[in-house]
Amino acid sequence: MEISEKELVREFEVLSFVVGDQEMAFDVDYVEIVIDKTDITPVPKSKPMIKGIINLRGRIVPIIDLAYVLGTDVDESKYESIVVIKYNEIEAGFLVESVKGVLRTSTQEVESMGSLEKYGEKSKGLIKKGDRLVVYLDVAKIIDEIAGEE
Amino acid sequence: MMKDEYLGVFIDETREAIQQMNDVLLRIEQNMEDMEAINELFRILHTLKGMAGTMEFNTMMTLCHRMENLLDEIRNGRMLLTEDIVDRLFKGADVIEHMLNNIVENGTDELEDIDVKGLISEFEEMLEGKVDLSEPAGKAKAEEKTVPESKGEAEEIPIEITDDLLHVINEAKEKGFNPYYVKVSLKEGTQLKAARMYLVFHKIEDKGGEILRTNPPVEDIEDEKFDLDVDMIVVIKESAEELSKDITSIADIDKVVVKEFEPEKFQAGKEVKKEKIEEKPEIEKVTASKKVDRRKKKITQTVRVDIEKLDTLMNLMGELVIARSRIVETLKKYNIKEVDESLAQLSRITLDLQNIVMKIRMVPIAYVFNRFPRMVRDLAKQMKKEVNFVVEGEETELDRTFVEEIGDPLLHLLRNAIDHGIEPKEERVAKGKPPVGTIVLSARHEGNNVVIEVSDDGRGLDREKITRRAVERGLIDEAKAATLPDEKIFELIFLPGFSTKEEVTEVSGRGVGMDVVKNVVESLNGNVSIESQKDKGTKVTIRLPLTLAIIQALLVKVNDFVYAIPIATIDSTLKITKEDIQVVQDQEVVVIRQEVIPIIKLWEVLQLPHEDVEDSMNVVIIRMGNKKYGIVVDTLIGQDDIVIKSLGKLFADVKEFSGGAVLGDGSIALILDVANLMV
Repeated sequence: MEISEKELVREFEVLSFVVGDQEMAFDVDYVEIVIDKTDITPVPKSKPMIKGIINLRGRIVPIIDLAYVLGTDVDESKYESIVVIKYNEIEAGFLVESVKGVLRTSTQEVESMGSLEKYGEKSKGLIKKGDRLVVYLDVAKIIDEIAGEE
Repeated sequence: MMKDEYLGVFIDETREAIQQMNDVLLRIEQNMEDMEAINELFRILHTLKGMAGTMEFNTMMTLCHRMENLLDEIRNGRMLLTEDIVDRLFKGADVIEHMLNNIVENGTDELEDIDVKGLISEFEEMLEGKVDLSEPAGKAKAEEKTVPESKGEAEEIPIEITDDLLHVINEAKEKGFNPYYVKVSLKEGTQLKAARMYLVFHKIEDKGGEILRTNPPVEDIEDEKFDLDVDMIVVIKESAEELSKDITSIADIDKVVVKEFEPEKFQAGKEVKKEKIEEKPEIEKVTASKKVDRRKKKITQTVRVDIEKLDTLMNLMGELVIARSRIVETLKKYNIKEVDESLAQLSRITLDLQNIVMKIRMVPIAYVFNRFPRMVRDLAKQMKKEVNFVVEGEETELDRTFVEEIGDPLLHLLRNAIDHGIEPKEERVAKGKPPVGTIVLSARHEGNNVVIEVSDDGRGLDREKITRRAVERGLIDEAKAATLPDEKIFELIFLPGFSTKEEVTEVSGRGVGMDVVKNVVESLNGNVSIESQKDKGTKVTIRLPLTLAIIQALLVKVNDFVYAIPIATIDSTLKITKEDIQVVQDQEVVVIRQEVIPIIKLWEVLQLPHEDVEDSMNVVIIRMGNKKYGIVVDTLIGQDDIVIKSLGKLFADVKEFSGGAVLGDGSIALILDVANLMV
């Protein structure tokens, strides 16, 4: 009994950052690099949540406005960093206000958001670490949703 | 262990050998007397047998061996080549291919579904029931034995005689050396051939001689990349007899031919001599074996490269181009004389490098075309049609990404041509056409495009049939169809789910096909068109860009952002004022040299906020086919080489851009897809 319980509890790491005064996090497995905000070239007629593209060491990487995706509103001047992720051959950067760092957590600390489920499927739950509450975002779902949208 | 290590090489080489076998067999089928081809086939099988043996694929080895024996009998005139035998040889080639595929998939050459033993014994039976033609056989055999010593051979030395070589020989002659042409043949089955040849070289040098040239080259000899014979040019003070004796004293030497080398013969008219030899049928055998040698040499000079490495190289190249532009840009500000020269050199080198990398990616279309003659032959036989298949422009090069993609669409077009296009013999005769139909597959470069055409002289597309089917399928209504010109009707066959053949045949006409052809071609940024005339034939033309990677583009600016327009699509640029613009049917146009050209403002198409421009406006005139239109932009920046990068899946819905490019200053220019701007 004890053994199987142990198996259910899985430790993992997330990268936490702030968007719209809320601490959020991605699975570190998806994160490629964090860079300072740089000039973004807008792509006319592209999807509204895509701010444009940047040149990341010769590669063209789309930049996504996470606040737009999550339905919040953030003053653009507050963005300082870009978290670049890679999922399913898609490389994309997310604009964030600041990056807090890597957080070690476990499945035990993740709770369903219940009735506060404001982010729907885009979030896997809420990480409770001391008095910190971190929205644990599902990168794969977010990217799939943007890519699938026509 | 060793087996695994070499399996990849074995698979590649066997695949190549099978391809060659098919090519040669087709040549033999065309001309049963083609001794050169029969010899070549024999050699291919011989090599294949050796390889299969080394890899312990014994069934394959046995099959090759039997086929080889049969050919040996034929080439020695002891057996008569019949159509039946050629068919059987084709079958053998197929079985070998099946074996290879089975080796790739399951690691064994044992086939369960094919009676290989039966085939092998068939070959044996053919051998036993051979037609005895002892008279000419003896002659042919004798002829072959004497060939290396015949007069023809003495005059024709299988070593390229360059002017440099002649110069060295003449100098040696002045110093009292005698130049010789030496041919050393090792005994069949000699082990350590390279070591034996080393002894020969050593012996010659020991006697104060010098080896000037060898065929095959020394490197190949060291790697044992030669059959049994080595030709060389030697200068030595010894007499021909002494030299011959010295070499013969080495073990495992079968035969040594030493001939006086007369440089005078080569000084004048060596070109003429070469041509003459091509014409002389009596020494055809010699040239034939030479040709094979040369081909072998060619193969060893190529390297197989992992396609991923090539792509990485391409990406790095792209970044190098960008880095160079960046340096040029930065230094422009400072105007330092000293760096100008080295910078110019850097630019030149980068350009050369870029060209070479581009070329590495290019492969001759023969890669795809090669397999078609065999397929067309089989299909035609199966459908009881007589087809003369002509392939043109196999050497045309195109990006290797295309090569992998274009094979299936082409095959489909060829199937269609045989099945739907070419009429049965009787029908052709009744129409007064030549009884044998012709299908031409051709490729050529045209500007920045590669054009591939499949044409036949068959019955052509049937307008009525196509219309009827299209109406039946609800693809078009009858009234509308009646108003459309032929070309528009023919285009209907590219629609999904369209097939005009009344009954579905095994080969084509499953209704998947033409739409797939169109999809593949368009996914490669190409287009496909069809022309047809009743009873005259049909021609399908596929147009592909040369490459997908680096293009020349005109950089233009709207607001603060730079956009790139591929130079290949640009007709001209000009300046206009607001007064030049007229409105015809809600469309803004300009009239240039009596030509009415519609224009669009880039900021309007891209829905960008922009002020009205009153005076001077820059217009880039785009030419697409025979249509033209103009794009109004703020400023023209200039021309540059750009590396096209995909924008990725997240921009799949944006039709206005075909990609992005990183510019010299690190900023990004979006590449306009001019085909999709003008609605």
